[in-house]
Amino acid sequence: MGTVEYIQHHLTNNSVGEGFWTFHLDTIIVSVMLGMLIIGVAMRLGKQLETGTPGGFQNFVESILDFVSVNVRDAFPGHNPLIAPLALTIFLWVWLMNFMDLIPVDLFPYLFQLITGDSHAYLKIVPTTDLNTTLAMSLTVFCLIVFYSIKIKGVWGYTKMFLFHPFGKFFVPVNIIMTLIEEVSKPLSLALRLFGNLFAGELVFLLIALIGGTLAVGAAALFWAPLQVILDLAWLIFHLLVITLQAFIFMVLTIVYLGMAHEEAH
Amino acid sequence: MTEPNKKNSTSKHIIAPSPVANYLLIGAGSMFTATVIAGFIVGYALDYIFGTMPIFFLACGVLGFIGGAQKVRLLTRRLDQQATQKTKDESNVE
Repeated sequence: MGTVEYIQHHLTNNSVGEGFWTFHLDTIIVSVMLGMLIIGVAMRLGKQLETGTPGGFQNFVESILDFVSVNVRDAFPGHNPLIAPLALTIFLWVWLMNFMDLIPVDLFPYLFQLITGDSHAYLKIVPTTDLNTTLAMSLTVFCLIVFYSIKIKGVWGYTKMFLFHPFGKFFVPVNIIMTLIEEVSKPLSLALRLFGNLFAGELVFLLIALIGGTLAVGAAALFWAPLQVILDLAWLIFHLLVITLQAFIFMVLTIVYLGMAHEEAH
Repeated sequence: MTEPNKKNSTSKHIIAPSPVANYLLIGAGSMFTATVIAGFIVGYALDYIFGTMPIFFLACGVLGFIGGAQKVRLLTRRLDQQATQKTKDESNVE
């Protein structure tokens, strides 16, 4: 397999159907499994809660809860019981999906090929490197933004935002288009930022992995093999920061956008 | 606005950015890009509806660029205000 084929193979989803109704099975299965993992761990922890001196894991989860609730308090005006659980879910789910990027790129595809017996079977295990995942999440957030905007401002208030913002009452057609563009840019920026960062990260991991593919038999291996290990480790450590930061940004911007939807005046 | 900002908005001397604005600053770059792309998408949709390709596509692309630049300017202006205010405060102290 050549360099281009290797990269293309790793960036192709295992899918069924065609056209608009193409389902990326690997994305769906991995993201659902990670969601189930969060639910399972949360349920188990919920049953074993200690009120006195909490154990290590409970402490860890409580620190995440504190971190999220502080951010919600800072960025969200007023009170809505949905926001903090939503923010926590987004943070944990996106972080876990991003974390799949740190698993060696060839491990799961290789195991999958062994299990299926198909040496060309596709498997892409990082759901956030699939634009469908990030767009689906950001569109869900966008639906909530529209819902709360209409709920808080009323239908007329929401319509007024389109008619008179940002250039006043004399430029209504331009205002409508400008506000429409602004609104559409919210889910787009959320989705593209997460997808772009994770896709680029995955690509760098693939490029580093390719160094192993060029291993020559003999003395050259003494240079290339340690180089791959060092580069992989360095990128992994840096990427650990990136995946956390991206999960944090997605969560915080969700809170901010929902906070803006909760404000009376836009 | 959050509680601290209500307090800040009443003061003439302190222009502290709200945490919300700080968080929005994180994504100023991608917000600009997304607004330009959103402009082209909205334009494409309008052209598809009215059959006017490529008039709205180009016009909304330009509007997206302007809107994105305006958004980034509004966000980053807070930083300038802060810096100016800090310099003024320091010179007043001296």
